[in-house]
Amino acid sequence: MLIVTLLCEIYLQLFSKLATKSFFMGQTKIHPDQMYIEGLAANDSAIIQTIYKKFVPKVVMFVMNNSGDKEHAQDVVQEIMILLFNQAKANTLQLTCPFDAYFFLLCKRKWLNELKKTSNKGVTINEDALSMNESALKLITNTEEFDEKQQLFDTMFLKLGDKCQELLKLSFTTKTMEEVAAKLNVTYGYVRKKKSLCVGQLTQWIQEAKNFKSLKNN
Amino acid sequence: MNEERYILFDQYLQGEMTVEERNSFEKQLSEDHELSSEFETFKEVQLRLTAKFEFEEEREAFKANLTAISDKHFNTSTPKVVLMRPWYYAAAASIIVLFGLFFFDYNNPTFADYDNPEPASFVERGDTNATLKEAQAAFNDGKYKEAIPLFEEILKENKTPEIQYFYGVALLEESKYPKAEAVFNELKSGTSLYKEKATWNLALSKLKQKKYKECKEILQTISQDYENYDDIERLLDELD
Repeated sequence: MLIVTLLCEIYLQLFSKLATKSFFMGQTKIHPDQMYIEGLAANDSAIIQTIYKKFVPKVVMFVMNNSGDKEHAQDVVQEIMILLFNQAKANTLQLTCPFDAYFFLLCKRKWLNELKKTSNKGVTINEDALSMNESALKLITNTEEFDEKQQLFDTMFLKLGDKCQELLKLSFTTKTMEEVAAKLNVTYGYVRKKKSLCVGQLTQWIQEAKNFKSLKNN
Repeated sequence: MNEERYILFDQYLQGEMTVEERNSFEKQLSEDHELSSEFETFKEVQLRLTAKFEFEEEREAFKANLTAISDKHFNTSTPKVVLMRPWYYAAAASIIVLFGLFFFDYNNPTFADYDNPEPASFVERGDTNATLKEAQAAFNDGKYKEAIPLFEEILKENKTPEIQYFYGVALLEESKYPKAEAVFNELKSGTSLYKEKATWNLALSKLKQKKYKECKEILQTISQDYENYDDIERLLDELD
């Protein structure tokens, strides 16, 4: 186990050196590994299989060496894959570092966070900051922020009443609000106002959560 | 909840404000930090809602596919090998033979036999219309799917029988029958050079859908003066 951890560290340091080099050559250049992201967004089975074959074994090894088992690893990988799909679909994921390191670190941090939740052992997850280059770290922070916001949004959406949920679903899957009104058998003015208020309710809750968070951080 | 505020946000985003209202709203935004922060959140919520519903089906498909691949990856220890007994081979072979007989019996002409669209050449040297060039290139390369939206864009501004005709052919190649037939019917009832060609393509559309009777009826309406009447005779013979 010690050897594996050591190997990981050596790998990371090597990687960060390589990455720093390319970092100076082109700061915002998209990495060729972006193809993995595109493949996920397109639900391309060949790409997904390649990811499992090439990059997942390392994650499995890490989880199993850190108080987890195969099933834990499988879950962590799956969650990260869905997160990447969502972020890719929102067009906010542009890889500026190799997929390998990015994917491994996301999985690693996710697993360490899970451990932190269930045990009281102090787990430090900021160690990566020392060995990672800036652009990769920024990318990981972005993805984790996207995830956090998505989870907040999902929670708040479920808090809405059934009527709001139904109306929003219809509004965002139907071409015009006139059609929505016809489907629900109410007036156009009513659906427009109701929709504004439902989106408004979500906005208010999310805004409050944001304000609370920034208060906590200050 | 500040109802007025959210109704205002929505009206602004839908572009339903007068110029004065817009200006005053934008001025407020630049002055009131709290308002602009909330407006940003409102826009973000709209984006998340769009993403949530727009990609719902795709997301479910992705999850299903992912789970299948993941399960396969993690459970490679239980390979499924089905042994085939000799008489299975015999059964399989006879099914293949039956299939062959079934298809050979119906020796109807197919759309593929007559599917050779002429190349488009409506871009003149020095022509600067980029969309037109792009559409022609896509069409001639057989990338009909790409050509269709380009043609649609061109037709919005410049509706000529020539462009309509090639648009129809592209639609037919992509098997968008109702749309293609609507285009050809319009040309057929017109007086342009493409009148007969459109009628011929209308017949091909029926052929592609295996509506042989309708195909024949349309072919019989084409006059013998049509430049490619040989094709029509040949197809009529094969249909009989």
